Amino acid sequence: MSTEPASQTYRLDDGPTIAVDTQCPVSVELPCVHCGLPTRVAAQSDPSTVFCCNGCRGAYELIHGWGLSDYYALRDQLSGGAGQTAVSERSRYEVFDQNEFLADSAPRLQSDGLLVSDLALHGLHCGACAWLIENAAARIDGWRLARVKMSDHTIRIVFDPQQLRLSEIARVLDRLGYQLSPLTKELDDHFAIENRKLLIQIAVAGFCAANAMWIAIALYAGEASGVAEEHRTFLRVMGTGLGLLAVGLPGRTFFRGAIASLRTRTPHMDLPVALGLSVGSVVGLIHAVTGYGDIYFDSLAVLVFLLLIGRWIQFRQQHRAARAVDLLLRITPRHASRILDDGGTQLVLADHLQPGESIRVASGESLPADGCIIAGESTIDRSLLTGESEPIHVAVGDTVSAGTVNVTRSLDVCVQAAGSASRIGRVMQAVETAAAQKTPIVQLADRIGGVFVVVVTLLAGVAFAFWARTDWQLAASHATSLLIVACPCALALATPLAIAVSLGRAARRKILIRDGTSLQQLARSGMVWFDKTGTLTEGRSRVVRVIGQRDALRMAAIVERSVCHPIADAIIASAPTEGTSSDNVAPTEVFSGGVVGWCEGEQLTIGNLRFMRLQAIDVADALSQAADELTQDGFTAIVIARGPTAVTVLGISDPLRPGASEAIAKVKASGWRVGILSGDHPDVVRRIAKQVGVDNSQAFGGLTPEEKLAIVSNGDGCFHRNADTSEGTSARRGSVRPQVMIGDGANDAAALAAADVGIAVRGGAEVSLQAAPIYVASGKLTSIVELIDGARRTARLIHTTFAVSLGYNVIAVALAMAGKISPLAAAILMPLSSVSVLSLTLASRSFRRFDGSEI
Amino acid sequence: MSVLFIALPIALLLGAAGMIACVICIRGGQYDDLETPAVRMLIDDRDVRKDR
Repeated sequence: MSTEPASQTYRLDDGPTIAVDTQCPVSVELPCVHCGLPTRVAAQSDPSTVFCCNGCRGAYELIHGWGLSDYYALRDQLSGGAGQTAVSERSRYEVFDQNEFLADSAPRLQSDGLLVSDLALHGLHCGACAWLIENAAARIDGWRLARVKMSDHTIRIVFDPQQLRLSEIARVLDRLGYQLSPLTKELDDHFAIENRKLLIQIAVAGFCAANAMWIAIALYAGEASGVAEEHRTFLRVMGTGLGLLAVGLPGRTFFRGAIASLRTRTPHMDLPVALGLSVGSVVGLIHAVTGYGDIYFDSLAVLVFLLLIGRWIQFRQQHRAARAVDLLLRITPRHASRILDDGGTQLVLADHLQPGESIRVASGESLPADGCIIAGESTIDRSLLTGESEPIHVAVGDTVSAGTVNVTRSLDVCVQAAGSASRIGRVMQAVETAAAQKTPIVQLADRIGGVFVVVVTLLAGVAFAFWARTDWQLAASHATSLLIVACPCALALATPLAIAVSLGRAARRKILIRDGTSLQQLARSGMVWFDKTGTLTEGRSRVVRVIGQRDALRMAAIVERSVCHPIADAIIASAPTEGTSSDNVAPTEVFSGGVVGWCEGEQLTIGNLRFMRLQAIDVADALSQAADELTQDGFTAIVIARGPTAVTVLGISDPLRPGASEAIAKVKASGWRVGILSGDHPDVVRRIAKQVGVDNSQAFGGLTPEEKLAIVSNGDGCFHRNADTSEGTSARRGSVRPQVMIGDGANDAAALAAADVGIAVRGGAEVSLQAAPIYVASGKLTSIVELIDGARRTARLIHTTFAVSLGYNVIAVALAMAGKISPLAAAILMPLSSVSVLSLTLASRSFRRFDGSEI
Repeated sequence: MSVLFIALPIALLLGAAGMIACVICIRGGQYDDLETPAVRMLIDDRDVRKDR
C-alpha cells in the first residue's frame, strides 16, 4: 500500500524505457512523450522515451501496443497535450457493473444481444482523443462500438456482455487518461433541443428566402420589360406566401424577443427587427391582396434568414462550454471508500455520503468530503483550495476539507459535510450566486437598437406629416417603406459575426473564449489580478540556491527518493543525476518538518531549522544566518546535515514562469492596472511581486478563496486586511472596471467566476471554461497580451461595421423620406450593407502573434 | 395556360422536399455534433480483427 504512491510521485524510476546516462551529470528538461509535462532527465536521453510518471508510460505503451501511435501526430496537430493521466485503484471500476450505480446510464439490451450504454466521458481535449478512443474500441474483443460526442462530452458504448464487462472498458479508458461516469439527469438536453430548433428555423427560413428571391427577380424583370398581368399576380401571391411563411414560422423568435424586451424595458435588437417585419408583412399583405403597390417579402425572408444565422452563431459560442460536467464533481472525487463495521471498505458514490460515516482516503487521493481525522497521520496538499504551495501536516482530530489531496499516508476520516454542504461546495454556491448577481452587460448593438426604434418611428412620423399635406395615401406608403428599409439587418449581424470570427482566430492562437461579452469587456482597461501559484510561477518547487557543500545535495536526493513531499521532489529534480541509481539505502524516517535517512554509510538529516534543533544538530552561525536570509527573501530554507553537523542550506522556491515579467510589463503598458492575489504566504507574494514588477500595495497574500472572491467581485476597497487604503492607488481601485482575474481553472474557480472576466491559464479545458469564460490552452502568459490586443481590435471592428451599416441605413432612410425609395433600391441596399459588413469582418485581422506578426 | 403555373409549384415542391429532408436530419441529431465527425473520417478503415 505504501509503496504504490511512491512510484506515482517519483519521476524517473529505473524503468526499462528510460535511458539515464550515469556518466553525464548534466540534466535537461524534456517534455513527457504522452502528456507534455516538462520532465528532468539526463542530457543524453532519447526524447522519445521521456515519461513524467508511470501512468503516462502505461498509456503510451498501451497506445503503441495497439499500433495507434498516429494519435500523437494527430494530437500535436490539433491542440496542446493530453491531460494528466489519472491513476486509480483497480477495485474502483467494479461499480460500473452495478446498475444502481449507473442509474440512467445502465446498459440496455439490444435486439442482437449486445448491450448499449451512454456515459459521460471526462478528460476529452480535442478530436485526437475521440479518434484514439474509437480506435481503441476496434482493438478490443467484445467492444463493438464507441461513439464519442465532443459537443457534450459523452460516449456511447456498445459491447458484448459475453466477452467483456463495462468495468473492463472503464479500466482501459482510465489507462488512456479518460474517466467514465454515469450521466447526470439533466444532461445538457436544453442545448441540444435549442440547437436543433434554431437549425430547423434556419432551414425553413433559408428555403423561403431563396425561393422568394428568385420570384422577386422575376417580378423585377417583369417590371422592367413587361409581364402578363396573370403571371404577375401569380408570382406576387407565391412570393407573399413564402414571405409570410418565413415571418410567421422562423420569424416568430424576433416578435417573442421584442415582446420580452418591451416587458422588461431593456433595449434589444429584436425591437427594430420586429417593427420592420410586422410593418412590412402587414403592408405587403395589403398590397398583395389589392394587387397594387410593392410587396417586400423577398427582403423580409432574407432578413429573417440572415438574422437567424447570426443568432445561431451567438448561441453556439455561448454554450460551447456549458456541459454536463459539474465543476464540483471535477474537484472532488466521485467515489469514496466507506469503512464498514467489520473494518473492510465499500466503494460508494461521494454524493451518498452522510455526516457521521467514516471513510478511508488512501495516499495520493483527494478527499471526497469535509471531515475530522479519526485515525492516521499525514500531510495534506491544500493548494487546490487555497493556493498554498506547501502541504500541511495533519493528525487525529484535525479537520480536513473536500478537494484537498492526502499526500503521505492513508487516513480515516469521519465525514462532517459532503457535497454542496462541504466547504468547497459552499464556495461553488457562492460562485453561482455571484455569477447570477452580475449585472448583465447591455450590448452596444442592443443599446443602439433601442435608440434606433425611437429615431426611426419619429422619422416615419415626420415623413408622414410632411407628405400628408400633399397626398394622404402617398404619405402612408412613404412612411411604411421607411420603416421597412430601416430594418437593421447588417446592424444586428455585425456583433455576432465579428465576435464569432475573433473567437475562431483566438482559438487558432490556443485561446478558447466561451462568450463574446468578455471579449468586449477586455477592450476596456481595468484591473487585472494574477494568481501566483501556478500562474505567475511554475507551481512546482525547485532548489534555486545552494549554500555550502554541493555534494550533500546529491546525497540528500538519494535519501529523499522514498519520500513523498514537494520539497523532496524539488531536491531530487535539482540534484545531479550521477549515482542516483544506488539502491542500497536504509529506509528513510519521515518526521514533521524533516527526514532522517542513511546514504553511503552516513546519517543524513534534512529539514528546516526548527527540525535541526529538535534533532540536536549543530548548525554553524553562518549557515543559520544564511537560512534566515533565505526565509526573509521568501524562500523555503532547508538544511542538510551529515552526521551531527549541518553542511548545506538549500533555498527552495517556486520559480517564475517564463514570460511572466514580460507579459505583465506589456499588460501594464496597454493601460491596465496589475495586482496579485494569492493564498500563499505574504512574504513569498511580495518577493514575486517585486520580481515581476507589481506594486507592493497591489499584491495580496494569505487570502482564503472567500477573500479572493470578495476582492474580485466587489472591485471596491472593502478588503482592507493588507491594503493600505489611505494610499491613493488602493482607494482608486474601487472604481476600476472591469475586474479581470487570471488564474488556475481549478483552484481559483470561485474568483474566476466572480470576476467580470475570468481567464484560466492552467487546468483542464472543460473545468476551466466552466468557471472562466476564457481559457488559455497554450498556458503561456504572453497569450494574455495577444488576448487583450485582439479584444481591442475586435471592438474597433465592431464599431467600424456599425458605422458602415448605420451609413447604409441613413442613406436608405433619407431616400425613403424623400419618397425616392423603390423596392428595387431597398432590395439592393439591404443585402449590400450585409455583404459589406461580412467582408469587412473577414478582411480584418483581429488576433496577432505576440511578436506582432499576423496569423 | 402558361407553363409557369405548373413549373413554379413543382420547383417549390422540390425545394420543400429538400427542406423537409434537412429538417428530418436535424431532428435525427445529425447536426448535434459538428466536431467529432470531422476527425472520424481520419480513422483508418483498416480491417481489424473482429468476429462479426
